[in-house]
Amino acid sequence: MSRKKASVNGNFKDIVNTVKFLTERKRFIDSAAPVLPTRTDDFGVNKVARSLHPKEQKLVIDRIEEHSDIAKSYYLRSEAAPLACFKAGQYLTFRLEIGSAVVTRSYSIASSPASALNGEYQITVKRIANGFVSDHILDNWAVGDKVTAYAPEGNLTYNPLRDAETIVAIAGGSGITPFISLARAIAQGDENCSLTLLYGCRTPEEILFRSELDSLACESEKIKVVYVLSHSDEEGYEKGFIGADIIKKYAPEGDYSIFACGPEGLYKHLGSELPKLGKEKKFIRFEVFSSGKKADEQKDFSITVIDRGNESVIKASSSETVLCAFERAGIEVPARCHTGECGFCRSKLVSGKVFIPEGEDKRRIADMQFNFIHPCCCYPESDLVVRIN
Amino acid sequence: MTKNYDAVVIGAGNGGLVASARLAKEGKKTLLIERHNLPGGFATSFVRGRFEFEASLHELCGVGSITGKSPLQKIFQEVGAADKIEWVSLDEAYRLITLDENEKCDYLMPLGKESFIAKLEEYDPGSAPVVTKIFDLIESIEKTLDFVSNIEDFKPSMIKEIFSEHTEFLKVANYSVDEVLKAFGASKKTRDILNGYWCYLGQPTDELNVIHYFTMLHSYIIDGAVIPRGRSHQISTALLEAFTENGGEAWFNTSVEKIIIENGAATGVVLDNGTQINAKTVICNASPYNAYTKLIDEKDIPEKLKKEVNAKTLGAKGFAVFLGLNRSAEELGLDNHTYFIYPTNDNRKCYELSKKLETNDVQATVCLNKAFDDCSPEGTSILYMTSIFAGDAWSGVSVKDYHKTKLSFAEKMIDNFEKATGVKIRDHIEEIEIATPMTYARYTDAPAGTIYGYEASKEDGIVKRIVFDMIDKGIPGLYFAGGYTARHMGYSPSYTTGDMAAKAAILAMDKEAK
Repeated sequence: MSRKKASVNGNFKDIVNTVKFLTERKRFIDSAAPVLPTRTDDFGVNKVARSLHPKEQKLVIDRIEEHSDIAKSYYLRSEAAPLACFKAGQYLTFRLEIGSAVVTRSYSIASSPASALNGEYQITVKRIANGFVSDHILDNWAVGDKVTAYAPEGNLTYNPLRDAETIVAIAGGSGITPFISLARAIAQGDENCSLTLLYGCRTPEEILFRSELDSLACESEKIKVVYVLSHSDEEGYEKGFIGADIIKKYAPEGDYSIFACGPEGLYKHLGSELPKLGKEKKFIRFEVFSSGKKADEQKDFSITVIDRGNESVIKASSSETVLCAFERAGIEVPARCHTGECGFCRSKLVSGKVFIPEGEDKRRIADMQFNFIHPCCCYPESDLVVRIN
Repeated sequence: MTKNYDAVVIGAGNGGLVASARLAKEGKKTLLIERHNLPGGFATSFVRGRFEFEASLHELCGVGSITGKSPLQKIFQEVGAADKIEWVSLDEAYRLITLDENEKCDYLMPLGKESFIAKLEEYDPGSAPVVTKIFDLIESIEKTLDFVSNIEDFKPSMIKEIFSEHTEFLKVANYSVDEVLKAFGASKKTRDILNGYWCYLGQPTDELNVIHYFTMLHSYIIDGAVIPRGRSHQISTALLEAFTENGGEAWFNTSVEKIIIENGAATGVVLDNGTQINAKTVICNASPYNAYTKLIDEKDIPEKLKKEVNAKTLGAKGFAVFLGLNRSAEELGLDNHTYFIYPTNDNRKCYELSKKLETNDVQATVCLNKAFDDCSPEGTSILYMTSIFAGDAWSGVSVKDYHKTKLSFAEKMIDNFEKATGVKIRDHIEEIEIATPMTYARYTDAPAGTIYGYEASKEDGIVKRIVFDMIDKGIPGLYFAGGYTARHMGYSPSYTTGDMAAKAAILAMDKEAK
């Protein structure tokens, strides 16, 4: 190599400069006090992170409000730490022990984000046919009871960088809860959007939060409420199911975002109605409450569950999700959304075959490659070996 | 409950994954503990709507696509993960744009030594001879590092070889990037362009060690960069699969509460469910900062280690905006893969400005579709923007102000991007997710939301760390891997230190067995 060797300040000075680093480093360490710096847990950032996303929250039922005979609101306060704050539209996941089962279920928070800062959450639970968990809550939860919830989660929230300034919210039945929260947040000045709420119920008696919705609409120019009855024809209400015509009738001129929350029937109907509006995908957002496999013949299988080196064998059925089999057997995985979306329950399918309903497979590319599944939306089609945790 | 292993690895981040995979490959009974439900730490991805977002990786060096020099690929091959990952090669280094009206500039630099020098000559006519000299030095430094890292049995004769063959390395080893570039006669424009990558290390080039930066230039520009098709989550999961295939055991949703120190040496860990894991080797991919302030009893920490933790400064805190756009990159005019957008070319000034929310305008933004267009559905694109904060501006943000602060900083980044590139994205956002230092704290337990390990300051630069880490090993049985260690942070350094930690531990285990 004939290239002239480079130097910076001349060969001698360069080497002296290099040798200097020995003393520089020693001085750097030696001059520090022999005490530990700020503990990780004590940084403002880490404190806020913990308060936004606590591992779990121990709550006490402070009071219960009955909405006719079909639903109840539970007002929950914290036993100790302040409540985790949330964005209107998010849900809380509760951990319940029912007999030998350990289950998680999510309920959208009905109260406003400001109420969490004041130490209170409100959730509203409606009685549904064969609702294993909702029945349990409605029949058992009493004032003073202690319940466990995880941190608020969920993406049905208003984001001004993404959404139109007006939200046309379509609620079905108890799917009103995220939107009563949004309406309250708007009224309190915590959200800047306008809300046109199309609220579908079977009969006037099933409308939840009626008087509050009416007064919010009355007090705030930004909130409009339209009730749509499917099984009752009365003056002052829209009649039928919420579809393109009703949306067009009440939506503003120009851009608006549709947020929808309700039972499966509502989504099915919207699935055929919304395309008529010709809206871009970015303006349509759904919250999925629960899903179900279309029942075919029911078969029994077994699942071998590997949890941190321990193995157990549990029963499963082709008509219930893998997560459901875990819950029945009292096996805990960190499930939240129950719709395949959040990925908390992600587990390794070591062997066996599962069925994932169309549209519910929201896994990462590499998770598909390496056979990781979201048990909350997988149905066994053979005996399985699953590694959780 | 008590369980016994040869080695326990704390954290399934990049360092922990490689360390675990290496230990299992070498037949060591290894337990990997991860507090989250996913492997990877920062190296992960998430799905929103019809988009899968990369959480942190911009470009990976060390899997060279140009020269074939691939130290990382070698590690991945050896531990059995390589054939599980699909790489896509990049051909562009970066597009560098400054926002300052008085010194507005816009440079697009390619990967590949010759192309890079030629392009610089175009932007700064007459620069080629100087830049060629600089690249000669970059290659000479790389040769020395290769020589040193290939030493298996140290012989005194090697000292003679170092002093005769590797004098350039020895001469520049304690200089900053600026000192060397100026001494070489590089013009301001050449320096501005060459220093474009500074935000990947987070340190201004007036104190950033030249060996550190030149090594990075070598691995990106000369060797070439890649990204994995399945996002960094594909690398993380591939390493985990390789680990379990070789008999390793990984426990997720499980936290280490304590590292057990007996008679001054690490002997295991205690988990959050009370289980005690006995292992004479503890590889810690949690930061030493967390290990010393959370996991080890203060009485067990020697004074010199306390001094060391106290002397070092936490590096940059992260902020990122992830956008799923409802138009193709072509339709929007997103022509480039990597955009560096700085308030000014003076990176010392950028660094100082990045200490405050109001003044921080640094961003490194990636359009993933420019690497492979089918990363998102047809007619859409993915853009993610990262900013770094020196200091701890976010610790002043309260829970009450959190959402507003997060939104307004994200909006500023989007505005800056539009201003710098002229590309309009605001009306095309179909999905958006925003990560703040709080987000990084949540998922990785990073102190103050740090994503860059310890600052690579003058006193704590990479050469000093490497030399002193060789001399001073801290607590016996405890090995650190990841972004806070000798090689500084980043994907490639974290994988590398994971491998180094495992190899050192294996050597010690085998020695003891004899």
